[in-house]
Amino acid sequence: MINSDLQALITTLEMATLTTIILLLIGTPLAWYLAKMTSRFKVIIEAVVALPLVLPPTVLGFYLLIAFSPEYLPGQMWQQATGQQLAFSFSAIVIGSVLYSLPFVVQPLQKAFEQLGDSLLEAGALLGAGPIDRFFTIVLPLTKASFITAASLGFAHTVGEFGIILMIGGNIPGETRVLSIALFDHVEAFDYARAHLLSISLLISSMVLLAAIYWLNLPKRNKPKDLTVNTKREEQSADE
Amino acid sequence: MNDFPINNAALNSLTNHKAPQLNININISYQQFDLAIALPIPLKGITGIFGHSASGKSTLLRAIAGLETTLTGEITLVDTSLISKRLVSKTLVNSEQGIYLKPEQRQVGLVFQNSRLFSHLTVLGNLEYAVKRCKNSRLSLAEVIKLTELSALLDQEVNQLSGGQQQRVALARAILAEPKLLLLDEPLSALDRHSKIQLLKMMLNIQKQLSLPMLYVSHSLDELQQVCDTLLVLAQGKVVSFGNIHHVIHQLNNNPECDLIQQQTSLSLPIKTFNNGHGLTALALNAQQDIFLSCDQAFEQQTQLRCFILASDISIILTEPTNSSIVNHLFGTIKQINPQQNNVLLTVICGSQDFFVTISAFSQQKLSLTLRQQVYLQFKASAVRTFIH
Repeated sequence: MINSDLQALITTLEMATLTTIILLLIGTPLAWYLAKMTSRFKVIIEAVVALPLVLPPTVLGFYLLIAFSPEYLPGQMWQQATGQQLAFSFSAIVIGSVLYSLPFVVQPLQKAFEQLGDSLLEAGALLGAGPIDRFFTIVLPLTKASFITAASLGFAHTVGEFGIILMIGGNIPGETRVLSIALFDHVEAFDYARAHLLSISLLISSMVLLAAIYWLNLPKRNKPKDLTVNTKREEQSADE
Repeated sequence: MNDFPINNAALNSLTNHKAPQLNININISYQQFDLAIALPIPLKGITGIFGHSASGKSTLLRAIAGLETTLTGEITLVDTSLISKRLVSKTLVNSEQGIYLKPEQRQVGLVFQNSRLFSHLTVLGNLEYAVKRCKNSRLSLAEVIKLTELSALLDQEVNQLSGGQQQRVALARAILAEPKLLLLDEPLSALDRHSKIQLLKMMLNIQKQLSLPMLYVSHSLDELQQVCDTLLVLAQGKVVSFGNIHHVIHQLNNNPECDLIQQQTSLSLPIKTFNNGHGLTALALNAQQDIFLSCDQAFEQQTQLRCFILASDISIILTEPTNSSIVNHLFGTIKQINPQQNNVLLTVICGSQDFFVTISAFSQQKLSLTLRQQVYLQFKASAVRTFIH
C-alpha cells in the first residue's frame, strides 16, 4: 500500500476505535435508560437516536459544520477550551461519527436490556448486590453478545462513513483523510488500481468483521436442550 | 385495624412484643387493585399466606422484599441482634419519614416461583454469588449444600436442571445470603407432586435447623396445612383471617362470603401407634378416641402428624355402627348447624376437637338433627389425608 493510503488507514482506525469507546460509554447508559423508561417521551428520544439511520449523512454533516464553526456557540466554546478550531479537525470527525453511529450501538443494547428484564436483577438485589455490582455481574455477562454486536457495528459503520466526514472534516492528510475519502480521491483522479486495492481491502475486512460477529453470537450447543426444559416447565405450570 | 374476625386474646398471644416480628401497615394502590394491610406477623416457624390469584399475596411479599416501590405506610422488622442478643427494630419502609431501604439493604430473602437462577453461572456459581455478598457468614456453604442435597449438581449448568432441582438451588442461594426472614412466593407451583413433597420437607427441615422464619405464599391450602403454624388469609387486598392455622381453616369453613377453601377439619395429632398390625396408624384424638389412617413408612420417624378430613368425606349416623367397613367412628355433640344452599354444614364437637361435616339438607331433615344432639361421625381411613407423606 502506498504511504498516503497507509496514513488514511491509521487515521480511520484511530477514529473508529476512539468513536467506539465513546459510543460504549455514552450508549450503554442511554440504552439502559431507554429500556427502563416508561414515560411517553421515550418515543421522542428513540426517534432522535434513530435519526442517523434515515437522514442523509450530508444533512447531519451540514448542521454539524455550522455548529462547529467558530461563529456559533459549540465551535466557540471548543475554541476557548482547547485553543483550536473544531471544524475540519480530527475531534470534529470523532464527534460526528459518535452521533452518526449512535443507533448502531444503542439499539442492540436497548433490545438486550429489555429482553433481560428485571427478574434476575431483583434476584441479585435480594442476594445483596447493589446496582453497579448487578450491572457487572449479571447484566454484562448475560448481554455480552449484544455488547460485541454493538461495538462491532459501531466500529464498522464508522469505518464506512463518507458524507459526514467530507462535510465536517474535509480532506486533511493525517488529520481527517480517512479511507473512504482516499478512495474517492483515487476515483476522481482515475487511479483505478489504487481504488481497487482500497475497495477490496475494505470489502474483505468488513466481511471478516461481520462473519466474526455472527459467529460469536451463535447459540451455544446446549441451547436446544434449554428450550425443552423450559417448555416442560411452562406446560407444568399451565396445568396447575 | 381489626376488621377481620380474630379474637384479641389470640392476637395478643401471637404478637408478643418481646419476640421477633414483622410489623406491617401499608397501602398499595393500582388502577384496579388496592391492598391495605395492617398487621404484626410474629416471626416464628413458617407463616402461610393464602388467597386466590389477585388477592395481593405476592404484592405483599414484594413490598416486604423492597421490590414494590409505590407504597405508603410502614414496615418494620423486629429481630434479635447478632451482637447484643437483644431485639432490634429495623425500619424497612416508612413513607412519612421518607425511609425506603433498597432490597439489597433489607436482609430479606425471596425465592420466586420461577427460580431466577443466573444462567451464566453454574449451580456452585449461583451459590457463591450469595456467599460473596453475605456480610455475616455464619452459615457454611457445605452445610447448606447438604441441607438442600445439591452436592451432586454443583458443576451443572442451571439450564440443564429439572424444575425441582432449580428450586432447590434457588432455596439454597437465598439461604446463603443469610436473611433474617425468608419469603417464598409460590415456590412449588410449577413442580410435580413428587418434587413438591421433597421441597416441602426440605423447607421444614431448614426452618428447624437454622431457625429461619419464613413467610410462605401459596394458593394451595394442602401445602400450607402441612408446614405452617400460622396462616394469613387475604382476599382482594384485605386480611380475611389471621392466626393459628387450624383455627383459621375452621373459621373459613363457616365464612360463606369467601368461597376460599374446601370445608375441612384440620388436625395436628400425636401418633399413638405407628402400625396396629393391620396396616393402620392410630392418632390420639383424646384419651378415649383414636383416628385411624393408612400406615405410611414416612410416619415412622414422627411423633406428630398433620392431616385433614374433608367435610364431605364424613357422614353422620345416630347409633354406633358395629358392622361397618368404615374404621373411624367418633362420638360427639352437634355444636352448630349452618344451612348452605342444598347442604348443611354441621360442627360436631368430639372431646374438645371440632369436626366439620357437610350433609345434604335432605339428610338433615330425615335425621331431624338438632343442636346439642349426640351423634356418631364416621369416615374411612382413606379420608384422613396428608400431603407430604
